[in-house]
Amino acid sequence: MNSLSRLDRRRASQVLLGLMTLFLASTLVFLYLKSSRDQTATYTQSRDLLRQLQQLNAQWDSEVLKARIAITHNYDPLVTPLTEMTRIGAELESRSAYHSAADLPVWQASLAAYRTAIQEKARLVDQFKSHNAVLRNSLAFLPTAEDDIQAHFNSIDDEGRLQLQSVATDTYDLLLSSLEFAQVTSDERAADILVGLGKLAINQQNLPLEFQAPVDILSNHISLILREQPIVNSLLERIAAVPVAERLDTLTTHLDQDQQAADLVDHQYHRYLLVFSTLLVVLLLYLAVRLLRSFAEINRVNRALQSANETLEQRVERRTQQLKDAQSELLDSARQAGMAEIATNVLHNVGNVLNSVNISADLVSRSLRSSKALGLGKAMQLINAHQGDLGTFLTEDEKGKLLPGYLNQLVDAIAIEQQGMSDELAQLNKSVDHIKDIVSTQQSYAGASTLLEPLEIGALIDDALRMNAGALSRHHVTVVKQYAPVPQMLGDKHRLLLIMVNLISNAKYAMSTLSEQARQITLTVQQTGDDMLKISVKDDGEGIPSENMTRIFTHGFTTRKEGHGFGLHSCALAAVEMHGQLTAHSDGPGHGAVFTLTIPLTLAGSTS
Amino acid sequence: MSPVSTACSGFIFALCLGIGAPLAAAPLNEALKPLAPVPTLDPAKVELGRQLFNEPRLSANNSLSCASCHRLESGGADNQPFSMGVDGKPVTLNTPTVFNASLNFKQFWNGRVDTLQAQVEEVVTSPVEMGSDWKTVVQNLSALPAYQNAFSQAYPDGLNAANVQNALATYERTLLTPNSRFDQYLQGNTEILTTQEKYGYQRFKDYGCIACHQGVNIGGNMFQKFGVMGDYFQARGNPLESDLGRYLLTKDDEDRNVFKVPSLRNVAVTAPYFHDASAKTLEQAVDVMFKYQLGRNPTQEDKELIIQFLKTLTGEWVGKPL
Repeated sequence: MNSLSRLDRRRASQVLLGLMTLFLASTLVFLYLKSSRDQTATYTQSRDLLRQLQQLNAQWDSEVLKARIAITHNYDPLVTPLTEMTRIGAELESRSAYHSAADLPVWQASLAAYRTAIQEKARLVDQFKSHNAVLRNSLAFLPTAEDDIQAHFNSIDDEGRLQLQSVATDTYDLLLSSLEFAQVTSDERAADILVGLGKLAINQQNLPLEFQAPVDILSNHISLILREQPIVNSLLERIAAVPVAERLDTLTTHLDQDQQAADLVDHQYHRYLLVFSTLLVVLLLYLAVRLLRSFAEINRVNRALQSANETLEQRVERRTQQLKDAQSELLDSARQAGMAEIATNVLHNVGNVLNSVNISADLVSRSLRSSKALGLGKAMQLINAHQGDLGTFLTEDEKGKLLPGYLNQLVDAIAIEQQGMSDELAQLNKSVDHIKDIVSTQQSYAGASTLLEPLEIGALIDDALRMNAGALSRHHVTVVKQYAPVPQMLGDKHRLLLIMVNLISNAKYAMSTLSEQARQITLTVQQTGDDMLKISVKDDGEGIPSENMTRIFTHGFTTRKEGHGFGLHSCALAAVEMHGQLTAHSDGPGHGAVFTLTIPLTLAGSTS
Repeated sequence: MSPVSTACSGFIFALCLGIGAPLAAAPLNEALKPLAPVPTLDPAKVELGRQLFNEPRLSANNSLSCASCHRLESGGADNQPFSMGVDGKPVTLNTPTVFNASLNFKQFWNGRVDTLQAQVEEVVTSPVEMGSDWKTVVQNLSALPAYQNAFSQAYPDGLNAANVQNALATYERTLLTPNSRFDQYLQGNTEILTTQEKYGYQRFKDYGCIACHQGVNIGGNMFQKFGVMGDYFQARGNPLESDLGRYLLTKDDEDRNVFKVPSLRNVAVTAPYFHDASAKTLEQAVDVMFKYQLGRNPTQEDKELIIQFLKTLTGEWVGKPL
């Protein structure tokens, strides 16, 4: 319950933190965008465009004036400013996007006013070009036209010229007033020229035919000047009156105001940004303090952890030491156990041999008990009783006559008896020697205890049989020997004997349950290959169940009530120590078993 | 280094140049200006414009291309008084040359549009000229993958009406006729004109032709009333609506019979003359101009000189004289 609410609280605080970060970031971005709009650049560019427009407009005006005073005949400069202004105007319009929504209509209205003005001016300039061109042409031609007429005057004779003197003067006056009219256009002068033209028309009728065409041309051109000059003048005035410059100024002013307003807003946002930045800095400082604190906390916890770690390490060390101690104790006990095992082994083997010793002693004592030597005592009693008449007794007495024969028989029997006992004692000696061997072998167990000596394997097996002879005869076991001829070999007599004694003893036990059947042990010796010897002990006993097959060689395994489970184990060990192998085979319970010892065959003559 | 010594060394350098090289002829400062070199434009657009210029799919029945009337091999116009429109009927005005059209301050005889793009727009949609509409044109062009590819390579937004106009206008800006003998004269090669032609130029200026025919295009930069010194249309007879000129556009009496002053470049090869093709020869045209525009009586000799001069205005197209 408690942990759940803590989890909720943590999640909520995480969400809150995320939201706050988002809010702060977006505020920052918003303020940044607001305060760093590229308005100044746009403003500068727009101002630049307006300045160019103003300049072009001025240039246009000056070109109009140049054309007016006939400095140039080329009207291209009156076209190019307009082309440029149209282009720049379009560019300016495309830049109006940044104006605020409230501001945009005013700006666009100003732009529209400018467009109207420029169109009007373009129209007037086009008209000016047309009218000015013909006006300048006629004005330029006027003196020539007058010269043409004067030439005609000069070509006629003096009388005629005198007659036409006033006409010539009038024509000349007309020329002058027309030229003056071009400089100072006034209604009075216009009226003068009209009068002059009227006079010329009247004079023309009196002039000779060759004057007609030049005078026509002159009056045509003067009429044109009269017509066109006021138009050109008025066009110039109207062009000057077109408020292109004013519109441009309006736009400039507008732009300035706009920029000022934008600057104001910009400043405001800058201030906001400043305040916000300050807040952020304060927040950062607070967080830094928090961070330092957490850092200290972490350090503290770290130190605690470190000391705990150290304690733990010490404990682990202590525990490791304990474990080590326990292990060495275990090792010791294992060693002791090993020693006990060895002792058990030794005792077992000694026990086996002692059995033979016992049997031999028993036989000797039994022979002694039933010795024929007792008969000798009875014979002596008879002799002693007939001390005096010994001769008679021996020759006459029924009993005495039998005595020498009896004594002779007795001597033979005692001799046989002594032979048997001495044999048995020799066997006893042998067994005691075996015991000595076992003990000495076990004493030197740790060292290289393998003692190789030349031996006859058949004799060795017979020794083993003999060691079990008592038991075998007691149990009525028949021993079948199938010895292949094997040359004298080098071998560890003690180990081989140990193994064979054990195997024969086991076979005998295995058959102890058979009652009706004949009990038979088959001993086989055969050479396999060049250098291996196989000795097997086969019985017809109870056999080995397959589940025990894998366990029979392990230490402590036994199927006998009084068994200790060392026999086969020590046999297997001994076999391995001789670089050989002890294997068991059984066809199952009731089918008997075969134990086979395989050892390397080292011929006696091959080493030494 | 002081400014004075800089100036001195600059002067000496210029002097050395002057001695070292044959004196480069300075351009003459005249009211007539030599043709500017052909501008460097996007070759893809120019090529596209060239194809479109010869593309009959711009017209309603696929019968007319720009080149049908503006034949580059015959002066940039046809030699008909009036070209045939899409419906097989003649149009009302003489076809002006497409050469140097980009130098005119406005397009059409009455100057009703300011740009070449707008000119294309007018011609394509005019019922008596190409008689088509942009939707159809774009559709017809889109059917050809070659155009699709060319447009998408030349223009980011591919094939559309504005880009068709732009491509055509771009191509037309390259249709200049440089290297006329008079241009070479203006550029300083004063030997190129014969004495007669130089006299002709002198007469051209003296009689006041130059009042309207001046600038880089020798005309094409102003409007003028046809009939300043007399009523040409009355003399010609049979006044038509098309004779009203700009009046049709502005409805201003001031603009009655007012036309754009045409360029005199290549004038020798662009007969017939005037909006109504009423002058079949250059002589006739010059006569009309003297009588109705200048109000002068030139001598026969002066007229011939002027005509000789006018013939020096013929430029070159793709390296060959027109």
